[in-house]
Amino acid sequence: MDQKYIRNFCIIAHIDHGKSTLADRILEMTDTVKERDMKTQLLDDMELERERGITIKLNAVQLSYHAKDGHEYLFNLIDTPGHVDFSYEVSRSLAACEGAILVVDSTQGVQAQTLANTYLALDNDLEILPVINKVDMNNSQPDHTKKEIEDIIGLDCSDAPLISARTGLNVDQVLEQIVTHIPAPKGDVNAPLQALVFDSFYDPYRGVIALVRVREGKLKIGDRIRFMATGAEYEVLETGIRNPREVRVDGLSAGDVGWFAASIKSIKHVQVGDTVTTVANPASRPLEGYRKMNPMVYCGLYPSDAARYEDLHDALDKLQLNDASLQYEPETSQALGFGFRCGFLGLLHMDVIQERLEREYNLDLICTAPSVIYHVYLSDGSMIAIDNPAKMPDASRIDHVEEPYVKASIMVPDSYIGAVMELCQNKRGIYQTMEVIEAGRNTIVYELPLSEIIYDFFDRLKSCSKGYASLDYELIGYRKEDLVRMDILLNGEQVDALSVIVHRSNAYKRGSGITIRLKELIPKQQFEIPVQAAVGGKVIARTNIKSLRKNVLAKCYGGDISRKKKLLEKQKEGKKRMKEVGSVVIPQEAFMSVLSRDDEPK
Amino acid sequence: MTNPNKKPQALYLHVPFCRSICYYCDFVHRPYQQEAADRWLDALEYEISKKKINPDLRTVYIGGGTPTSLNEEQLARMLSLLDPCTEKAEEYTCEINPETLTAAKAELLALHGVNRASIGFQTGSDRLLKMMGRHHTAEDVKTAMELLKEAGIGNISLDLMYSLPGQTMADLKEAAEYAVSLEPKHLSLYSLTIEENTVFAKKGYRPLDEDTEADMYEYICSTLPEKGFRQYEISNFARPGYESKHNLVYWHYEDFYGLSAGASGKENHCRYDNVRSLPAYLKDPLQKEIISLGREDEMFETVMMGLRLKEGMSLSSFEERFSVSFEEAFGEKAEKLLIEGKLEIAGNQIKCADAYYHLLNSVLEELL
Repeated sequence: MDQKYIRNFCIIAHIDHGKSTLADRILEMTDTVKERDMKTQLLDDMELERERGITIKLNAVQLSYHAKDGHEYLFNLIDTPGHVDFSYEVSRSLAACEGAILVVDSTQGVQAQTLANTYLALDNDLEILPVINKVDMNNSQPDHTKKEIEDIIGLDCSDAPLISARTGLNVDQVLEQIVTHIPAPKGDVNAPLQALVFDSFYDPYRGVIALVRVREGKLKIGDRIRFMATGAEYEVLETGIRNPREVRVDGLSAGDVGWFAASIKSIKHVQVGDTVTTVANPASRPLEGYRKMNPMVYCGLYPSDAARYEDLHDALDKLQLNDASLQYEPETSQALGFGFRCGFLGLLHMDVIQERLEREYNLDLICTAPSVIYHVYLSDGSMIAIDNPAKMPDASRIDHVEEPYVKASIMVPDSYIGAVMELCQNKRGIYQTMEVIEAGRNTIVYELPLSEIIYDFFDRLKSCSKGYASLDYELIGYRKEDLVRMDILLNGEQVDALSVIVHRSNAYKRGSGITIRLKELIPKQQFEIPVQAAVGGKVIARTNIKSLRKNVLAKCYGGDISRKKKLLEKQKEGKKRMKEVGSVVIPQEAFMSVLSRDDEPK
Repeated sequence: MTNPNKKPQALYLHVPFCRSICYYCDFVHRPYQQEAADRWLDALEYEISKKKINPDLRTVYIGGGTPTSLNEEQLARMLSLLDPCTEKAEEYTCEINPETLTAAKAELLALHGVNRASIGFQTGSDRLLKMMGRHHTAEDVKTAMELLKEAGIGNISLDLMYSLPGQTMADLKEAAEYAVSLEPKHLSLYSLTIEENTVFAKKGYRPLDEDTEADMYEYICSTLPEKGFRQYEISNFARPGYESKHNLVYWHYEDFYGLSAGASGKENHCRYDNVRSLPAYLKDPLQKEIISLGREDEMFETVMMGLRLKEGMSLSSFEERFSVSFEEAFGEKAEKLLIEGKLEIAGNQIKCADAYYHLLNSVLEELL
């Protein structure tokens, strides 16, 4: 198809503003998907995405649209995630598009991620189409929302369609604007091939499938291609598009978005962000990739059953394929055995990966508490980066420690300012500024240690503002703080997987909180277990898990033997998900418990 | 001991009627109605006629529900139905509810050979009895015992419960002392477990905390032997020679018949649960769910039941039954427990060590 009839675009929005719903309507109204095939949120493929109602992975589909100008247009729609953790995914989809539809919920107005994603799109030189959603709701304020977009972001909203993605109202206007407002791709069909890999996944029968945006030239079946960064060469066996099912086509040309398979067995050969060219007529240089995101949060992942270490390795390899932001390397824990230290973009990302590993790969995992990367400066002047608290060197060797800080921008209505500020103060936040965006709404800016916001900050922010506050944050660098490693001893033995790095001024409070929490979580055993928190070998908090005194069935006669036996089996099954460390059996949740604080309600 | 080709030597009959519902009970029971009980007896007669019951039963146990909730005529009919196979019974027990026992019923029981009674004493405090939904007083138990003794049934066991909501250590001591003063031959003490579908569960009651419960159990296990009641099972205490022969059948994992709605039986490597609903039983008294027991099931269950006894399980009987020794059957798991001293072998018996007896579930889990 002539490039001038192609439109490549994505949809960006703050979480829950209706992005995936709009994508569904667009799919329906372009006749691409028959109504009977329609599941709600068609592009949210993963079971997990549907369940949680969030988009995690980007997804690309091709649609055809008959426009009012009488021409047939080819749309490539790329769905994107809205959660702050996944802005990385957003930046990947942006690199494959010429335009973005910005969906704003007219009952909520501009939110933190509306801004963050818009800026990302502007950075990528995309044409932005603002769309005002949920105008069918009683509390919709379309004019107000338009004004907000104009005032805060500076986008002209005079043309912005007022839609209801849910009912389909005015979505036809959006389709027309895609044609009229978003530029057609440019690129020379006859130039040497340059195709950007923006995603990939593993198919057990066909090997790695690469999703590409062809910038220049053509990609055809039979072509011998090269991944420019890795140097790997393959023969293209299949090319295709998705609508949203896979459809094979003969080839992809400049402007197209599609996929190809080349019997690629090594996951390592396909890097998201790499450029594909042909061996016969190679491009002189690769395309510029996109902003690569670095993990901010690390945790240890261990198989409950040590024999499944290789399975976990394999699963991580495969997951990394379509989630390049996931990083991992082998590590060993005295308490947990062989596992991996994994890096994630944020807590939701960590959660999602864990859940996918457990569900899709049928693994039982033990996950240690998340940690950030600390910069530890030793007395000899050298610096080591620590992503696992257990690896923090002895205090005598340390000159000082630095931890990462973020600048957090929180949008919040007047009535919740106090609550949000209190939350930030409790998290060692340093107040920066507060700006009134418009009457009744403000942006509060705090500098916060990343370690304080990785765990439950987002949830707490939502609950202390009844869901009205929204958050965006960016890393602003490292700062020197008085940080110490706190060790946890169970029955006198230090459990490396429970060590945590804390601010010295909080150590006592955290220590008591953690020991009490562990006492609640670790089941009573046949002997008394002392639980201690220690800093630099000095015990600062202690409690005891009393021994189990009675564990018998009161009655057991002829009738209910099977039921009683099942009861025992169930108890035993429960212990399978626990880890025996030394002589103490520790449940999975205990490893996360070091994060809960005694100064906050549970 | 057990000979697979031999017919069961024990029988349990479940009477599914009660005059009132106790708040902790999850056994099959219905409010007593004369007409329903008549129809139940018809069904029971049919069931017995179809079952070729061993005429030489060694032990018989009539439980419920409340056997004494039946009127005299019905009680007589029920006992007559069992007569053909109870003649040689060494131990013939009937559960007694203090408020529904009359002199005439006590005489009837004795006439048909019942030689042991198990009375629901529960607790000595009338306040706690009321809270449990019981309609008798502690004093009624004494009266019932007198009626039974007059009829010639002197082998009496009392059932007590502890760890009751609101119960104090002082309450338990009072109940235990009162029970002992009544001079029964046997005592069963059960800690309350709140089962689903009981009134307690629906009312949201909770048992006492683990520590108090453990204190109570410790008190029981140390006090009763001082008073001459030897502990021979987790929850059972007896004067020498008065251990329940029928219940030992269960703990020795031998076969037994189960009769009537809600009863279970075990015959020939199968356990069966008779249909629980009374209307369904009346329609077809032979309906049951059968669980066939594999060798592994039987081995574990033999141990699970056997270790409940203070004296433990006979190693030679185990080997005779399964043609493999206990140590071979449980391999490393058994070895570990023996090395840790949680299990002990003395002569032909393997038992749970005294220090771990109150943690039997933890020990059994390790054998699973």
